[in-house]
Amino acid sequence: MVDLPEVTLHIGQVYATRTPTVVKTVLGSCIAVCLLDPVSRVGGMNHFMLPSPTHESRSGAQFGVHAMDLLIGAMQKAGAERRRLQAKLFGGGHVIQIGLNGSSVPERNIGFIEEFMTTEGITVLSRDLGGYLPRRIQLHTDSGKVYVKRLGQHALRQTRTEEKAVMRILGQEAERFGPILLFDDREVDRRVGSESAVRGGVRWVPGS
Amino acid sequence: MGARILIVDDSASIRQMIRTALEGDGYEVLECEDGEQALAAFQATPADLVITDIYMPRMDGLSLVRNLRELPALRFTPILILTTEEGDDMKQRGRAAGATGWIVKPFQAEHLCRVVGRLVPARA
Repeated sequence: MVDLPEVTLHIGQVYATRTPTVVKTVLGSCIAVCLLDPVSRVGGMNHFMLPSPTHESRSGAQFGVHAMDLLIGAMQKAGAERRRLQAKLFGGGHVIQIGLNGSSVPERNIGFIEEFMTTEGITVLSRDLGGYLPRRIQLHTDSGKVYVKRLGQHALRQTRTEEKAVMRILGQEAERFGPILLFDDREVDRRVGSESAVRGGVRWVPGS
Repeated sequence: MGARILIVDDSASIRQMIRTALEGDGYEVLECEDGEQALAAFQATPADLVITDIYMPRMDGLSLVRNLRELPALRFTPILILTTEEGDDMKQRGRAAGATGWIVKPFQAEHLCRVVGRLVPARA
């Protein structure tokens, strides 16, 4: 068997490619969506979490919409067609906050992604959501096959620490937006420089 | 009746976010899922401003801009590109196609409304 190139995604990253690749990530309460276009054999994945809602009525869902928009855009750029996209959903484990009320981090993440898939009319082939342990997932982009492994206590502690750190950063980065440019004019709004690779907490992985 | 804005994006979620923002400012909003649909819609019901994504089925956003600019009535209608693309080469392609401006996603509704308001007041 030929060794495929491997890419590891961290929270906030997106990757899509037409070159057969293994894309890996470890999920706690975050969500990873794997997308496949079975005709062009373009596959891709993102890894995101919604920030906590703030007092300014921000539901955090905007973050998820942008994470999905980036993934779908990257898929289309690599040659996928939107109407052929098929999805597999992973994550939303109760690793940060134990409690099954509707406002917990994983429940909000799961609620968002299920609603998004319905709104966008994207077929969901399978889902492995919720539970209490982190998961390691491996997507084979050309076939769309995903291998899932439940991880133990050590990974649980590590994932929890990483996600808590990201939650703190997301609270600040929720205020970052892309620049606006009018061609016959000066830039009318530049809260974030174009040199910044961070957009709404979503970061490109170079080389896609 | 407020000024009419045509939103062209293949994501229903993104269209909804833009619609909510612009309707709140008094604009009338029309939605299309791709460039081809937008071109047909525009010829039936002209708009005062167009906001379009780039990557869409059938006809992408840059082709839509070029096609719209070929219509005599559309020479001066503001067309904004709303995209995840932020490379200078893509922006130059947008400018060459005839776009009025470039907004990189994620966008803040308030900023979008400010730019739209500057190009086309909600009420004439």
